[in-house]
Amino acid sequence: MRHARLRTAGASLLLGSLTLALAGRTAAHGGSLRSEPARSLAIPLWLFLSTGGGAVGVSFLLTSFVTDRDFIRSVNDRRRTLGLPAGLRRGLTVAARLVGLVGLGAVLVVGMLGPADPLRNLAVLVVWVGWWAGYTMTTYLVGNSWPALNPWRVALDLRQRLPAPDITYPDRLASWPAVLGLLGFVWLEVVSPLADDPRLLASVVAAYTVVTVAGAYALGSVWFERVDPVARVFAAYGAVAPLYRDEDGSLGVRVPGTGLEDAGLVRGRSDVAFVVALLWVTTYDGLVATPPWRAFARAVVGIGVPPALLYPLALLAGFGLFLALYRIAIRRGRRSAESYRDPETLARRFAPSLLAIAAGYHVAHYLGYFIELSPALLGALTAPLAPGAPVAVVLPTWFSAVSLGFVLLGHLGAIWVAHAVAYDLFPSRMQAVRSQYALTAVMVFYTMTSLWIVSRPYAAPPFV
Amino acid sequence: MSGTTPTDTTDDDPPHDCPDCDRRFHRESYLALHRGQAHGDELTDGERAAYEAAREEEEEELRMFRLQALAALVFIYFGFLLVYAFSL
Repeated sequence: MRHARLRTAGASLLLGSLTLALAGRTAAHGGSLRSEPARSLAIPLWLFLSTGGGAVGVSFLLTSFVTDRDFIRSVNDRRRTLGLPAGLRRGLTVAARLVGLVGLGAVLVVGMLGPADPLRNLAVLVVWVGWWAGYTMTTYLVGNSWPALNPWRVALDLRQRLPAPDITYPDRLASWPAVLGLLGFVWLEVVSPLADDPRLLASVVAAYTVVTVAGAYALGSVWFERVDPVARVFAAYGAVAPLYRDEDGSLGVRVPGTGLEDAGLVRGRSDVAFVVALLWVTTYDGLVATPPWRAFARAVVGIGVPPALLYPLALLAGFGLFLALYRIAIRRGRRSAESYRDPETLARRFAPSLLAIAAGYHVAHYLGYFIELSPALLGALTAPLAPGAPVAVVLPTWFSAVSLGFVLLGHLGAIWVAHAVAYDLFPSRMQAVRSQYALTAVMVFYTMTSLWIVSRPYAAPPFV
Repeated sequence: MSGTTPTDTTDDDPPHDCPDCDRRFHRESYLALHRGQAHGDELTDGERAAYEAAREEEEEELRMFRLQALAALVFIYFGFLLVYAFSL
């Protein structure tokens, strides 16, 4: 009885403290579409950070108690095929493509001609609230429907009907263009008022359309598999989802997250880099909106570094640091597991577990944002060119606990996936446990960094 | 624990090669476990005995690890409880 009460007290303290600081998180995202709430911590910062790190460490210890190989495998094998009639599938595909095309057209037209107020402009609301917040959530919570919805895939149909150029994609480029593209997009989002200026947003979408249609027309579907960062982000998130397509193209259901254990998901160094980049950009996006960054940026510009170089340099440096940390963790894990396995193989197999964390942070950042602004989105959808005054939902204070729950869930998922992959890779279960020490340490470090960022007050990025 | 620290091995150790596939292992017990798991149908009697022995050794190590993990959990849990009690 007493023990139970102690445990409840401990758990509520832990949750409560983490919740407090997460409350202000969403403000730094999706541009400046909403005002930032006040952030305050009820406990000392060091305690807040170590509680977050401790929660991740504890999840690792708890997961390591699951040592039944057959059970771990059975969780992954619990899959079912959904027999969807061919007619229905074709109908859904056509409908999705139409929705995608109409949506793209609306963003371009209303972005250029609609109201200049971002909260009343359909283009801004569709891109940031409907698509980047809401739709992205469906890709990891339900399944990756982007190949059906993606309006730019019409370039592939054009390619079949018109004489197409015979260009083969150089294999050595692998997914590096997508990595650069993702970093480039995030740089653009940070340094330009993409969420505030409908005209700018429409121009960027138009430029992206030209590049994507030309690229897909010239290269074929490899464009969306290797070059286009948007399609790659959704494919990566889709690996977390319960709905999936198996090799013969039929739909299936699996335990959410277990798709990350598949050996063929990450194909090489560039795919590993893409996963790490996806995690890093979330951090970078928050980092540049903190007061310490502001002070750092002022100091660096003060000693003569051009402001235009500051953001891309920091973006690349942080990405390099994250990638290096991940590789070091893999090498150390390999050594403690006493394995002859190729470090490249290990890096490939463990990288997908990070996607669960990325998905967890995405929900935490965008679920509240999506709910708050969805009435504005609906308003703009009903009257695209002359919407009424925007309405926003006010979320109850306990809502930040829900966000926190998703962050923890993402970390738990990642630890479970890494655990299952380690059991698959190593013959001895002690090897599997030992291989996770370094990776868990990196995850603890990452959690603490993220919590440190979310506990800083919001400060608009300087020099942009 | 068997006394060897896991970090003192390098790729220079004489490896134990699996005769049926290209995997190689730092310890004989790892090879025995691998053969039992991946090539269970082709085991000789000696290999089966080695597999059983390796499994027993693995169980022993796991039991030890579980105790250590439990100790760490208790330490973290009550550590945080105390720290929270005194810092709030």
